[in-house]
Amino acid sequence: MTAVASLRLAFAGRPALLLPIGSVVVALLCGLGLIVAVGVPLQDAIAAFADGAWGSAYSVGASLNRAVALALVGLGFIVAHRANLTNVGGEGQIAIGGMASTALCLYGGAATLPGPLAWIVPLGAATLAGGAWSAIAGVLKVRVGTNEVISTLLLSFIAVWMLYGSVQSTSLLRQPMTNSATLPESLEIPANTQVPALIDGLDMPLHSGAAVLLALAIIVTVLLQRSLFGLRLRAVGLNPMAARRAGMPIATTIVLAMFIAGAFAGLAGGFMLQGEQFALKARFPSGYGLDGLVVGLLARGSVKGVLASALLFGFLRSGGISMELSANVPSAIVLIIQGLVVLLLAGSAWWLERAVRH
Amino acid sequence: MDGGWLALTGLFAGSSIRLAMPMLYGALGELVSERAGVLNLSIEGMMLTGAFAGAMGSLATGQPLLGLVIAVAAVLPIALLQAWLSVTLHANQIVTGIGINILVLGGTTFAYRELLGNRSRVQIPGLDSWQPAGLADLPLIGPALFQQNALVYVALGAALAIALVLRYTALGLAIHAAGTEPTALDKSGGSVRRIRYGAVVFAGVMSALGGAFLSLGDIHTFTEGMTNGAGYLALVGVIFGNWRTGRTVLACLFFGAATALQFQLPALGVPAPTALLIMLPYVMALLAVAGLVGRQSPPPALTQAYLP
Repeated sequence: MTAVASLRLAFAGRPALLLPIGSVVVALLCGLGLIVAVGVPLQDAIAAFADGAWGSAYSVGASLNRAVALALVGLGFIVAHRANLTNVGGEGQIAIGGMASTALCLYGGAATLPGPLAWIVPLGAATLAGGAWSAIAGVLKVRVGTNEVISTLLLSFIAVWMLYGSVQSTSLLRQPMTNSATLPESLEIPANTQVPALIDGLDMPLHSGAAVLLALAIIVTVLLQRSLFGLRLRAVGLNPMAARRAGMPIATTIVLAMFIAGAFAGLAGGFMLQGEQFALKARFPSGYGLDGLVVGLLARGSVKGVLASALLFGFLRSGGISMELSANVPSAIVLIIQGLVVLLLAGSAWWLERAVRH
Repeated sequence: MDGGWLALTGLFAGSSIRLAMPMLYGALGELVSERAGVLNLSIEGMMLTGAFAGAMGSLATGQPLLGLVIAVAAVLPIALLQAWLSVTLHANQIVTGIGINILVLGGTTFAYRELLGNRSRVQIPGLDSWQPAGLADLPLIGPALFQQNALVYVALGAALAIALVLRYTALGLAIHAAGTEPTALDKSGGSVRRIRYGAVVFAGVMSALGGAFLSLGDIHTFTEGMTNGAGYLALVGVIFGNWRTGRTVLACLFFGAATALQFQLPALGVPAPTALLIMLPYVMALLAVAGLVGRQSPPPALTQAYLP
């Protein structure tokens, strides 16, 4: 047995863990190589990165908030993916969630609700709206057999432009025009509809979404591993014909799986609005849906994997922005690393399968 | 109808055609790729590469035509990567497409900043317009409709050629088989792998031209992420065109017209709901895939890796 073959077998034993880690390490090394290649001193770049990602309580909080949103999208992604459904519409589902939550916070009377209901109800609306939007793709799949990749992609573009349109018109969500410099964005939502900080008195913008995320992560783990629904998802994903013969409700399972994927992304949008941004801007989803998709792919079906990759990309994004500002390294380097991770993972999956077969 | 309206219509038609071009190139490439069974989501990334490499090539050499060649050359490795991942390694076509798009968006933005730094928005030597004798001299509509660069005419020729090849030649039959019944193609002595590689590379070349049209033929500069979804619209055009050449061309021209309206309506003082106009192609495509606009017939083996 050659060294390469034994390496393959070593990897093949724990592909779920080693494959993503290997891909990330290789991609990060490429990123470092690129920084060296453009002549930025490595220690400067790394110092800037560290400063932006975890240099202060503020930056840690901001990175963690990013990670919460990414992890929510990723969790939804792996639920649908268990049934072999690929949700590429996270961007649009976030947009729908953000719009629903803004509408309720500003004009739906959420601010008049007592206590925590003022921020919980709009979050719930964001969840339902995102889920309903994505369930359209499920219904189309069941009714006319439309590939969900195509339908979620189209729905995503439609939603993103709906959001764009909604903040252009004062009869929709745009703030009243007091002068010609009024920006095309919504009013800021009232204070009691904003998601409170996770820990009071800490000088950190980390909101309570982190706790909600952890609770949902446990629920999804149980759902996927121990519930009848989890079994159905897997059966539909592996062999729909057999699942049908076994009397499983395939159509319901598919629509529900798509609903859950969109609901998680919608909730992510709600948290982004009510926990971080507080006003709906034209470019609100700003790539979180796509990043969440990468997180879901990287996780390879595991909830822990979602949390780990979301943390990675949350900090990577914050650090990347800081590298651009203070070390003159274009933050596009984060995109390069993400793209490499996706391609390395996609390409090596087959390599491992072959290693297992031989 | 007086002359003013005719001139305006000509202007509108001209800008519709110009705005449709990048999508049309991408869509023609994607059409062939999908007919061969590969859903190539990386059209967007390939177009962006073409736009970037074309602009940089033209800037460096001062020759827009050389820029065009460089655009095509730069996209080839990306097309081969997509083909290698999805055809040879049987990787998920959608995942690889998304990966390539992210990588290219990052790569071109990064390289652009490094190469041009603060000299952004520099004017690059662009392609000249080519005016067919006689037509361009037509009163009123001539200048608007027929002062387009040569790539416009190349695209229309390519559309015709693709339609003919797909319908009447052995190659067209092989492409059809690769996307419909790949096993049958292999059994009859053809090679699914070769056809699919060829189709993806063809999609790459066409996307490169579409991207170069954007930077060299239309805007005469490169901006970060300048394709801005045109590659995805190309995909949408193929869906709305129901995987037929003629209908795909019409879909792209229609999308071009919708884009032109975004600019023309405000100029005419008509309050245009821009978002609605931008959304229109996606809504139409969604209605199409929902089966509300006739029956959809995608190639049966689309997105399926072929395992002999």
